[in-house]
Amino acid sequence: MKQPFFGMFKTPKDEHMLGAIEKIEFPMRRHDPNEQVDFCIVGVGSAGGVLIQRLARAGFSVVGLEAGPFWNTERDWVSDEAGSHQLYWNELRITGGADPLTLGANNSGRGVGGGSVHWAGFTPRLHPSDFRIHSEDGVGVDWPFPYEELKPYYELLEKEIPVSGPAYYPWGDPHGYPYGPHPMGGCGDILVKGCTKLGIGVSIGGPVAILAGSHGDRPHCIYRGFCIQGCKVGAKQSTLISHVPDALVHGAEIRDHCMASRIELGKNGRVTGVEYFDRDGRESFLRAKIVVVCGYAIETPRLLLNSSCPGFDRGLANSSGTLGHYLMAQAGNVVLGRFEELVRMYKAPPAQALTEEFYETDPKRGFARGFAVQTVGPLPISFARQMMVAKGAWGWGMRKVMMDYNHWGAIALLGEVLPWDANRVELAEEKDRNGIRVAKVTFSLFDNDKKLIEFGKNKVMEIMRAAGAIEIVQEARYAHLVGGARMGNNPDTSVVDKFGRTHDIPNLFVCDGSVLPTQGSANPGLTIQALAARTADYLIAHRGDSAGTLAHAMQNPSIRYDLSPPGTWGKGVPRIT
Amino acid sequence: MNKLENDAAPVDPATSEPLAPREQPGYFPRFNTLAQKAFWDEATRKTVTSRVLEIPPIRFFSFEEAALMKAVCDRVLPQDDRDDAHKIPVVNFIDERLYSNRLDGYRYDDMPTDQDAHRLGLQAIDEIARYIFGDPFVSLRPSAQERVLKTLHDGKPPAGHAIWKRMPVHRFWLLLVQDVVGAYYAHPYAWDEIGFGGPAYPRGYMRLENGEPEPWEVSEKRYEWAAPPGSSSAEFTPVGGSSEHKGSPGQGGTH
Repeated sequence: MKQPFFGMFKTPKDEHMLGAIEKIEFPMRRHDPNEQVDFCIVGVGSAGGVLIQRLARAGFSVVGLEAGPFWNTERDWVSDEAGSHQLYWNELRITGGADPLTLGANNSGRGVGGGSVHWAGFTPRLHPSDFRIHSEDGVGVDWPFPYEELKPYYELLEKEIPVSGPAYYPWGDPHGYPYGPHPMGGCGDILVKGCTKLGIGVSIGGPVAILAGSHGDRPHCIYRGFCIQGCKVGAKQSTLISHVPDALVHGAEIRDHCMASRIELGKNGRVTGVEYFDRDGRESFLRAKIVVVCGYAIETPRLLLNSSCPGFDRGLANSSGTLGHYLMAQAGNVVLGRFEELVRMYKAPPAQALTEEFYETDPKRGFARGFAVQTVGPLPISFARQMMVAKGAWGWGMRKVMMDYNHWGAIALLGEVLPWDANRVELAEEKDRNGIRVAKVTFSLFDNDKKLIEFGKNKVMEIMRAAGAIEIVQEARYAHLVGGARMGNNPDTSVVDKFGRTHDIPNLFVCDGSVLPTQGSANPGLTIQALAARTADYLIAHRGDSAGTLAHAMQNPSIRYDLSPPGTWGKGVPRIT
Repeated sequence: MNKLENDAAPVDPATSEPLAPREQPGYFPRFNTLAQKAFWDEATRKTVTSRVLEIPPIRFFSFEEAALMKAVCDRVLPQDDRDDAHKIPVVNFIDERLYSNRLDGYRYDDMPTDQDAHRLGLQAIDEIARYIFGDPFVSLRPSAQERVLKTLHDGKPPAGHAIWKRMPVHRFWLLLVQDVVGAYYAHPYAWDEIGFGGPAYPRGYMRLENGEPEPWEVSEKRYEWAAPPGSSSAEFTPVGGSSEHKGSPGQGGTH
């Protein structure tokens, strides 16, 4: 058998690897089990990873509770579709409604890094218009602050991640990216060709959280195409490799395999800490001055609902009754096209190119808001499951269409579904292995959503046709999850304020995708990380006395450029404003 | 070749003659992902080779259920064009998933557990076989077995109504098909068949555009084949029949 020059590749023994080169080279700080820490972070994912790094760097004692493992990427991750099942939140959830969501694989992570471990890595910003859709279009709700307040955090995170993309990105608030764009693979070529034929502008080679050049101990992309199976290379950013190592250097502790079950409310109306089950199923309690829940759109409402207590019978911090409601998923219809020539869409990252030409409201279309069109690159199992739904394939038909796998390409809709009260997370009767009630998710599309999807789907099919596909099918599906603990200025209609503090409890915060009041047509990952850096600045600026009494300040904290992970500064093209 | 095998084998459309089983069907002759395993990282090499070498035993299904499940899987995704040494043990992998309760992270509120759904589904499939043909599913000819399964695909099973009150037909059908394809296309033999390059870390891919093969991949060489005469699974028809079914989002998990 052919072998590499130095023999078969071996996993480095006894090293905690994060990607191909980066490693953790020191023991993690362990807090005394009875110690009251400054911050308890529940969920070390996209938001929790950024937050814990900031708080540790600012000198606080901080412990993160993570339900999943602290990955050693060389040992735990594989270049294999079926073998990557463990990266997702596979615990039971009940799903229903008129248009039920599938959960797990495509939208929730488990383990340090959370969803950022298996995101495809598209990192567009929200548009300025996303922050005021109620004012502009009379739908949804406005954000409690304008785009301009988040913009410096977008710019900061684009450097910390760092994002690769074009030097000039024309949509929303136009800007450029610090690392150069990536080469195209088959699906990127299809999107570019189709858009160019139709005169639609298209962004090539980004923006993605994937390195086009090496960055410290992180190598550049090798185009192996397994982005959503976890990037073993370390080229695609996850907070696991970009922020968590710096958090550990500054004394943060992450307790992995620890599932939070309940947040304890003290007599003075302030939370006192978090109950959790450790890896052996033992119950423990972590005392903390401030608790920040970073569990994402389903687990955050679930934990708060499961923490109901006298005074908060409907769930902790749920005096508004909106906890769990206004859950959103983006329309993610995948359009698949068969080509005469070979495509081999498994090569290169699924996230290659996109267009936001249809992002804004166009009154001529008869619905509010819009959509993006992006590349995807399904691997064989995903592709077969798409063919099952999109083409009705089974039996010999499935075998036949799968033999043509290398002739198919895929691009997808990413459409804004509006926030609706009826789309929600509640508690089901069923319990998990620790006896914690699981989440029940209800999701339905409404009139504007259906019109948007119909129009968007047809537009994506038109692009696929223009690219030269000889057969086109589509699969209706959803992507991403946000909402469920939305932020707002009015305590009667939202769960947290514009910095993530719950309206009801002064030392309880939420920081993750669940706080988004609306979702736009941008992949939420960058926005979630940017919001986390902003909440961190607020917590650090207003930390108050040693008891952790936060002043109820509503002025914006000044942005802390000195808290970024090492290697953030001094790179990239000049910013175009 | 006996009649039963004749009924199951795909044919050469020019001659209508059955095609002999192959070591490797598909249009990428002698492409072999496993031959590249020295270039894979150790964890991936272990995961993929153990999938080939360590076939999980049947522990969830009873002996009778396993026999019925095998007959069902053989029609949901037929392998009659593969020689016996290169058939993929789909049932064992599904059994392993159900035995170890490896879930996909959700259950529809109108569905029983995945384990119960598979057990109930098998019962219903046998009831339909007996209703239409008067015989158990396992003893039917392949074309008759396909007709039984087609009633599920079309969402119009003529029997098993007590079971379909407990779970919607199309949800069970999609669960079954997705479990079968999930097991089959996870196997390196299936990758060789469809020309999927497989694991590529730490080496990576270099030829990203125009469908060009890497130096270790092979060019496509197509041949004509058609489903066996009497097969009803070669036509593409929507799940749930002509009226578009509601409420079944895609299962692909691509973004």
